[in-house]
Amino acid sequence: MKTSFIATSSISSASRLSIMKLQAKLAEAQQEVVSGRHADVGLKLGYQTGQSVTLRQELTRLQTITDTNGLVSMRLDASQAALEGIADGAQTFLNQLLAARDGSSGPGVVAVQAEAGLATLTDALNTSIDGAHLFAGINADVKPLGAYFQSPPSAAQTAVTGAFQSAFGMTPSDPGVADIGVADMQAFLQGAFAGLFDEAAWSASWSSASDQNVRNRISSSEMIDASTNANEQAFRKLASAYTMVADLNVEALPGGTYKALIDEAAQIVSNAIQDLTALQAGLGTAQERVANANDHMAIQISVITTHIGALEAVDPAEASTRVAQLLTQIETAYAMTARLQQLSLLNYLPVK
Amino acid sequence: MTLSIGLQAALSGLSTTAEQTSVASRNVARAGDPNASRKIANLVSLPGGGVRLATVTRASNAALLDKMLGATSDAGTQRVIAQALDQLDQTNADPELDASPAALIAKLADAIQTYATAPQNSTAARSAVNAAVDLAQALNDATRVVQQVRAQADADMAAGVGEINALLTRFQTVNAEIVNGTRAGSDVTDYLDQRDQILAGLSEQVGVRTITRADNDMAIYTDGGVTLFDGGARAVTLAATPIYTAATTGNAVYVDGVPVTGNAGTMLSGSGRLTGLAAVRDSITVTYQTQLDEVARGLIGAFAESDQSAVPSLPDVPGLFTYAGAPAMPASASVLTGLAGSIRVNPSVDPAQGGDANLLRDGGISGNPAYVSNSSGAGGYSDRLQQLLDGLGANQAFDATAQVATSATVAGFAASSVAWLQSARQSASNEADYRDTLLQRSSDALSKETGVSLDEEMTLLLELERSYQASSRLITTIDNMLSALLAAVR
Repeated sequence: MKTSFIATSSISSASRLSIMKLQAKLAEAQQEVVSGRHADVGLKLGYQTGQSVTLRQELTRLQTITDTNGLVSMRLDASQAALEGIADGAQTFLNQLLAARDGSSGPGVVAVQAEAGLATLTDALNTSIDGAHLFAGINADVKPLGAYFQSPPSAAQTAVTGAFQSAFGMTPSDPGVADIGVADMQAFLQGAFAGLFDEAAWSASWSSASDQNVRNRISSSEMIDASTNANEQAFRKLASAYTMVADLNVEALPGGTYKALIDEAAQIVSNAIQDLTALQAGLGTAQERVANANDHMAIQISVITTHIGALEAVDPAEASTRVAQLLTQIETAYAMTARLQQLSLLNYLPVK
Repeated sequence: MTLSIGLQAALSGLSTTAEQTSVASRNVARAGDPNASRKIANLVSLPGGGVRLATVTRASNAALLDKMLGATSDAGTQRVIAQALDQLDQTNADPELDASPAALIAKLADAIQTYATAPQNSTAARSAVNAAVDLAQALNDATRVVQQVRAQADADMAAGVGEINALLTRFQTVNAEIVNGTRAGSDVTDYLDQRDQILAGLSEQVGVRTITRADNDMAIYTDGGVTLFDGGARAVTLAATPIYTAATTGNAVYVDGVPVTGNAGTMLSGSGRLTGLAAVRDSITVTYQTQLDEVARGLIGAFAESDQSAVPSLPDVPGLFTYAGAPAMPASASVLTGLAGSIRVNPSVDPAQGGDANLLRDGGISGNPAYVSNSSGAGGYSDRLQQLLDGLGANQAFDATAQVATSATVAGFAASSVAWLQSARQSASNEADYRDTLLQRSSDALSKETGVSLDEEMTLLLELERSYQASSRLITTIDNMLSALLAAVR
C-alpha cells in the first residue's frame, strides 16, 4: 500500500524546473531592460508585427522623401539665386540702355556691356549642382547654352549673321550698315531677328535644354516641377536683347537706326524682367510646397515613431521591477532547494 | 509442539522481513528515477501461524499514465511546430533590423525615390540596383531557409520512424517477458516499468492508445486507430526525401500500410512529433513558401515593362526583376511555385554583372528598344522611376492559397506575410508552453502517485527493523525456554 502522495524525485524536479523557468524569464527581462524593447518582438506582438513592419516601411519612406526634399530645396534655392542674378543683370542693362539712348554713354560702351550681360546670362543658365544642370530641364547632364562669341562662330551667331545677310545683303561688320534705315531695321528686328528667338529656332541653334522640367515627388502624393528651363520666354527675350546690342555692330549704325534698336532692346528687356518675376514666383511657390510637405511629414514621422514605440517598446520601469522580482524569486527558489536538501528523515533518525 | 511452531513463525517473520527489506532497498535505490514506480511487498498469513511474501506489485495508475502519454504526444507536436516557426523567423528577424523582404522592398522604394530626385546621378542608380539585388538575394535566401526547414523536418520524421521501430522491437521483448512472468506468477514489476517507459517514448513520436488484455498483454494503436503492436510489432515506414525544393512533395508515414500523416486518409494521427513535423513539412512551410513566391511575383509585376511604341503591340515583359520563365510574365494572381528561389535582378541593369544601372531610369531593361521609355536618353528623366514607384504603391491581386491578403501592394503583402508568420509563431509558442505545462503537471501527478518517497521507505525500514528485532527476541526467548525445559529433564 502506498501511503504518501509525494515522490522524492518530484520534489527535486519541481524546484529544478521552476528555477530553469525563472532563469529563462530573467534573461528575457534583462534584455528588455537594456534594449527598451520586447526581447522577441515577433513573438510578443504576433499578427501585430505586420503593423510594426508596415509602420517602419512608412517611416523610412517619409525619411527618404524628407532627405530628397533637401536636395530639391537646394536646387530651388540655387535656381532662385540664378534667376535673381539674371534679373539684376537685366535691370542694370535696362539702365545702361536708357543711358545709351539719351547719349550719356556711347554705342561702343553699350555694346561691350551687352556682351558682358550675355555672358552672365549664359553662365547663370549653365548653373549646375551635383552634376545636374538646373536650367536644362530633363536633359540635366547637358550644358544648356554654349558661349555666343567663340571661334569658330557658334551656331547662334552664324544664324544671326545669316539672317542679317539675307535681310540687308551684307554682314553686320560691313561698313554699308551705316545706310540702314530706321524702318528697315525695325522690320528686321521684329521679323527675321525675332524669329531667331522663337522656340523652335532657339532649341535648334541656342539651347540644348529640354522643355520638360524635372518633376520631383515631395510627399507621398505630391509631384512638383522643381526647376525651370533655359527655353523659357524670359531667357530668350533677354538673349535677343543682349545679342542685338552686342552683335549688330551698333557703333556703325546711323543715329536714328541706333536709337530705334536701343528702344527695341529696352522694350524687350523690360518685358523679360516681368517674365522673370513670374518664373521666380513659380519657383517660390514650389519652395513653399516643399517646406509645407516637410513640415507635414515631420508630424507624420513623429506620430509613426510614437506608434512603433507603443507597439515594440517596454516600460523600462516595469522591466527593471520585473528583473528585481525575478531575482528575489530565484533566490527564494535557491534557498528552498537548499532547505529541501536537508529535509530528510535520515537526518533525524538516531545513529547507532 | 507449540514451542517449535512459535519458532517457525518467528523464522518466517525473519525471512519475510528480509525480503521486505530487499524490496525497500530496491525502492530506495531508484528514488531518483522518474520512470520507476514504487514496489509493494504483499504478505499473506500462513495457516498455522507465520507469514510469507506472496507477491510484489507496484503502485500504478492507468488513468494518470494515459493522461501523461496524451500530454507527451501533444507537447511533442507543438514543440516541433514552434521550433520550425522559430527557424522560419530568421527570414524576417526583428522588425528593427529591417532585414525582412517587406523592409527590403521599402528600402528599394526609398533608393528609387532618391534616384528619381537625382536621375543623372549614376551612384544613385547603382544604389537603387543594389537595393534590388539585396531584395532578390533575401528572397532566394528565405527560400533556401524554408526548404532547409522542410528537409530537416523530413529527416527528423525518418529518425522518428526509426525510433518507433526500435521501441516497438524492445516493446515486443518486454511484453513477452511480462506475459510469461504473469503466467508464471513471478515478479514482473520491473518489466512493467520498462514497458511504461517505452510507451512514453512512443507517445512522444506518435499519439498512442493502449489496451491491456489477459496476462498483462498489451496492444498499441495510434490515436488514429492504426495498429502499432498487437502480438507483434507492425512496420512503420517513411520513404525519406533528402533534398527539398519548393516543388517537392514529401512522402507520408505509413503504419502497417496505412498512411498516418498527410491530408489523405481516414486514420491520420492527431498528435506526436511525427504529426507536428508533417504539419511543418507539408503545410506551414508550403504556405510560407507560397507567400514568398507571391512577393517575388508581385515584384516582377510591379517592375514589368510595357511596349512604349505609339501603337503598343508587344506584351509586357519582366524588367528589373526577372526569372527563368522570362520574357513571359508570370500569370497574374496565381502562385508560381519556387519563384522566390529563382527571382534575380536582370543582368543587363546590374553593374556588377556588366549591366547599365541607368536602364532603371530609361526602361528597356529587357533589351528590346520598343520598351525604352526615355527615348532621348535625357539625364534628368524621372518619369519611368516615378512610374515604378507608382507600381510599387499600387494594389495587385495575390493568390488566395497564400492565406494572407488577396489585394495589396507588394510591400503590404510582404508585411502581411510577416504578420502571418509571427501570429503562427505566437500561437504555436503559447500552445507549446501550455502543452509543456500540462505534460509537467500530468507527469508530476503520475510521479506523486506511483513514485518512491524516501521518507516513506525510511519509516517502513524502521518498522521492519523493529519487527526483525522482535522476531529475533522471540527466537532467543524460545531458545531459553527450550534450554530451561532440557535442564529440567536432565
